[in-house]
Amino acid sequence: MTISPPPALALQDISKRFGEVHANRGVNWTLRAGRIYALLGENGAGKSTLMSILAGRYQPDQGDILRQGRPVRFLSPAQALAAGIGMVYQRFMLVAPLTVAENILLRRGPIHLRGTREIRRIRELAERYGLAVNPRATVGTLSMGERQRVEILKLLYRRAKILIFDEPTAVLTHAEIENLFTVFRQLKNEGKTVVFITHKLEEVMAVADEIAVMRRGRMVSQLAAADVRSRHDLARLMVGREVILSVDKPPVAVGESVLQVRGLTGPGESPRPTFRDIAFDVRQGEILAITGVAGNGQEDLAAALAGLVRLTGGTLRFQERTFTAAQWRRRPSDRIAYIPEDRHRTGSVDAFSLVENFMLTRLDVFGTSLLVDRRRAAQATAEAVARFGIQGGGLRSQAGHLSGGNLQKLILARELSRRPALLIAEQPTQGLDIRATEDIWQALLRQRATAAVLLITGDLKEALSLADRIAVMFRGRILDIVSARDDGDIDRIKLLMAGLEDR
Amino acid sequence: MAWRIEKRSASFARSPAWVFPVSLAMAVAVGAGIFAALGVNPLTAYGVMLKGAAGSFFHVSEVVVRAIPLMLTGLAVALAATMLLWNIGCEGQLVWGGILAAGTGLYLAPHLPPFLVLPAVVAAGAVGGALWGLIPGLLKAYLAVNEILSSLLLNYIAIIVMEHLYFGPWRNPEGYGFPGTAQIAEAARIPHYFGTRIHLGLVLALVLAMVLYGALRLTRWGYRVRAIGLNPRAARYAGFGIRSQIVGVMLLSGALAGLAGMAEVSGIHYRLQQGLAVGYGYDGIIVAWLARLNPLAVPFVALLLGFLIVGGEQLQSVLHLPASISVVLEAVLLFGLLLSESLARYRLVRRETGRAVPAAGEEGA
Amino acid sequence: MIEDLAFIGQIAVKSSIAVLLATLGEIVAERSGILNLGVEGMMLAGALCAAAAGMATGNPLIAVAAGTLAGGLLALVHGFFAVTLRVNQVLSGLALTLLGMGLTSFLGRPLIGTAPGVRLRALPLPGLADIPVVGDIFFRQSVLAYLAYLLVPLCWILLFRTGTGLKIRAAGEDAAAVDAAGIDVFRIRYLCTFAGGLGAGLAGAYLSLSYTPGWKESMTGGQGWVAIAMVIFATWNPLRAVVGAFLFGGLTALQFYFQAVGVEIVPAYILKMLPYLLTIVVMVLVNIGPGRRFGGPAALGIPFNREG
Repeated sequence: MTISPPPALALQDISKRFGEVHANRGVNWTLRAGRIYALLGENGAGKSTLMSILAGRYQPDQGDILRQGRPVRFLSPAQALAAGIGMVYQRFMLVAPLTVAENILLRRGPIHLRGTREIRRIRELAERYGLAVNPRATVGTLSMGERQRVEILKLLYRRAKILIFDEPTAVLTHAEIENLFTVFRQLKNEGKTVVFITHKLEEVMAVADEIAVMRRGRMVSQLAAADVRSRHDLARLMVGREVILSVDKPPVAVGESVLQVRGLTGPGESPRPTFRDIAFDVRQGEILAITGVAGNGQEDLAAALAGLVRLTGGTLRFQERTFTAAQWRRRPSDRIAYIPEDRHRTGSVDAFSLVENFMLTRLDVFGTSLLVDRRRAAQATAEAVARFGIQGGGLRSQAGHLSGGNLQKLILARELSRRPALLIAEQPTQGLDIRATEDIWQALLRQRATAAVLLITGDLKEALSLADRIAVMFRGRILDIVSARDDGDIDRIKLLMAGLEDR
Repeated sequence: MAWRIEKRSASFARSPAWVFPVSLAMAVAVGAGIFAALGVNPLTAYGVMLKGAAGSFFHVSEVVVRAIPLMLTGLAVALAATMLLWNIGCEGQLVWGGILAAGTGLYLAPHLPPFLVLPAVVAAGAVGGALWGLIPGLLKAYLAVNEILSSLLLNYIAIIVMEHLYFGPWRNPEGYGFPGTAQIAEAARIPHYFGTRIHLGLVLALVLAMVLYGALRLTRWGYRVRAIGLNPRAARYAGFGIRSQIVGVMLLSGALAGLAGMAEVSGIHYRLQQGLAVGYGYDGIIVAWLARLNPLAVPFVALLLGFLIVGGEQLQSVLHLPASISVVLEAVLLFGLLLSESLARYRLVRRETGRAVPAAGEEGA
Repeated sequence: MIEDLAFIGQIAVKSSIAVLLATLGEIVAERSGILNLGVEGMMLAGALCAAAAGMATGNPLIAVAAGTLAGGLLALVHGFFAVTLRVNQVLSGLALTLLGMGLTSFLGRPLIGTAPGVRLRALPLPGLADIPVVGDIFFRQSVLAYLAYLLVPLCWILLFRTGTGLKIRAAGEDAAAVDAAGIDVFRIRYLCTFAGGLGAGLAGAYLSLSYTPGWKESMTGGQGWVAIAMVIFATWNPLRAVVGAFLFGGLTALQFYFQAVGVEIVPAYILKMLPYLLTIVVMVLVNIGPGRRFGGPAALGIPFNREG
């Protein structure tokens, strides 16, 4: 009889409540050293809460955590880290104006960093795990991928044994994702435990040893990656029903050009404008996707087209009229609808009711020159709620109480009700679960009948599923626009997103 | 055992109704503590305040008289704060309202037809405050200058200008050196009611409270003001011109405060003199926040503060305690509001202070 | 002419010390992410307590300590509301100013018109004071002015050359990141708020022990607010705070100078406004100047809450 060592970490009957919401209910999970765990689940399934409990950010209302068989209780991230558990959050915990080394050594309070042993240790760690980053660089100037490496270095420097990642691949290029997985495997070979939260089933299949699935705060399934036969199995486990992983894209007659831009250039922050020399056409009946890794200028481009960011150069032809960059201020804004990336902070007002939110961009319609017409707005909102199946409260309840998917549907319904000639949708399904994503996708496809759709997305799968053509942006420029119908182009798109031009 | 604070509700949730009474109770309790520390029986002290501020019809009317400028400055602060603007400059705007109203009453009134005098005085008060409110508004909208500091610093400048006027060019030639202007024309004085000092300003304040309430809820302008206040990013996204909105709101906010100064000059003092800038502008901040920026609640809170002020003066004349106790009580009231708002939003949770047990050995592998 | 210049310079420095001390304190507090608009109130508390302790004991050290501590204690009230209760820091700061104004007016009534117990007179520094002009301007000042000279580089070293300073600045930029690194954000913010109060209290003590000895109601005359504005002008850097404070002091000195000389080139009331006007102008200049380098700590005024 062999005596197996106690597991690296065991969660027993963990529960956590936020007000009325049960984020975790009676969760049991065992983590062993030298394994890579993938934690799956829809939005709001309680994955992030569970991981935050592990990392000492939240305290469980109930339940025990056993570290190598002994009960532990973490009152702060510092205590969890002292016990060897560290987490890389989705929103990086880095102080932007400080250098990499200062961030890593923050707790030690370094005085003079030049040439010290600490810097050498950071460099050694970086080399050993292939986490290339300059310790003296200011964090604010680094790419998302580099910042993630700093986060990992921070944990390794503090000798973490269990490393938790919350959706680590969301901000990475494909090459960077491959790199990260190599790091994961290296950590595993050294006997460390890796846990990562993800929505992307491909990633689970690529790197995980063990898979755990959460649904509505409970742990519903745990299995070895080797036992998974198909992505459909996993998807069904996550959602609890059969899901469609590809969308039907009924053909729509392509009409006239709605927007034609040439040489578009954005505001000039150093060292270069966030976007420059942008040229594309988008016609009624088609979806043009603009894709790229976060931070390559597509965000500002979308905002500029919507009139929220100043254009400094180029020309635009919208329907029959031509505008210079400066004239774009006087664009016919009633015919351009924009779904911003941040639905809570930009697209809606939390404390406003659904009806009031429905008026936000349509104040000119729901009212006379002086007064607002609440009754008509309420009618229109009620129709939208019924048509889009928006759940989570009456018309008078606050929009802040809606889930991400329902809020996004409300915003989409509002923008579509303006009957725009051009719809700009920025990351429309980011962070949404499969069900809500499907609904949004269907709505965007339907919209082709009356409008040109510009889809700004970092999710290549979304671009491929919806778009007719895909423009890839890198460092503020469109490298190429490729057809989405040709399967052979997918690899090329991935290369372009990483900035590798093949010409 | 230790305490920790845990979130109770989302930050956009409205605070519950018990917040105001609880903060009031806290202020009363702290006030009692201060009285006790000074060797004054708190019951006696509160008795004096109550009797002095509500003991007779005359006393009650004095509370109302004090509440009138507080209502107007309270509305001024509330309007600006609804759009996330801190108008700390009501004192200066009030002073400018007073200056222009006095100037009109002194120098313009003789040249105007009688029926135009009073409207001209009222309009001058509003314009004076509006122009002084316009400065921080423009600075904020076009140069991103912090309006808290600019509006506040302008208070000092307004007071210096006023003092210069009544000590210098506008001084009453027959005033025997008394610092102040001559009395304004009879026609420039706003009417009084009930044989008390209660004046037209009360009607004005109450009507404006209702108008403001309605305007914020029913008009497109009000919708924009509220949207900008709750989420400026969303407002920008919706295409609301935030700059012009800032300028407009500061203009109106200043006008409201200017009317308070006009009412003091044209309804109480009949001249420009020391005693116009006695802190009503600052009190307006407390009124607005205790009223949770609701214009309809402003008059009631203003009455409460008026009561505190008159009560504090009674303490001075009866018990010889400095009247500034009312300022202390106002501050405590505001702190009490903040404390109870915080308790409504978070709750104190008792937790065990177990030491974390760090993993001792290295992991096997 | 040289004498006039030395005279104006000396008064300019003398008039700038209170603003300088309060600005330094507020810089430390704001660097940690806490906006404290209660400076005016804390200064008043410092001035009253220093004057009262001076009258009671006649001991300058105790008087200065009492004033300084009074500012610090009042700051802790703001700390409790801003850090622990996470309320709106603007409102809490305004309430603190009101509390300081009310309490000092209330408690200070008996002290009005009584002779000051402690006067910190100019203390010429041996050697340095004899340097022509410069010595007159800088080294014939009260001992608290010399303390202020020392505190400027000390604050800078604290913020930019020590581990503690690194943590303070980090807490003001991104509290969650600092917390995740295992540093107690609350402790840092409490301490910095307290330090800010000490600065304001010391500034008040300077006013009532040295600048115009004795207690007068509202004797700060808005200098607390000027200090807050000067923090912006100084771009949260203690070394640059000197420039702002001296500008303020210089205009105040001009006023005295014209009064003393008896000529009225500029009307007195205009001169009186100049310091406030200058402060506003300075805030404008910061915003339209070439390249806004530093717009302030990113987390300034934002409460930290781990769970949310």
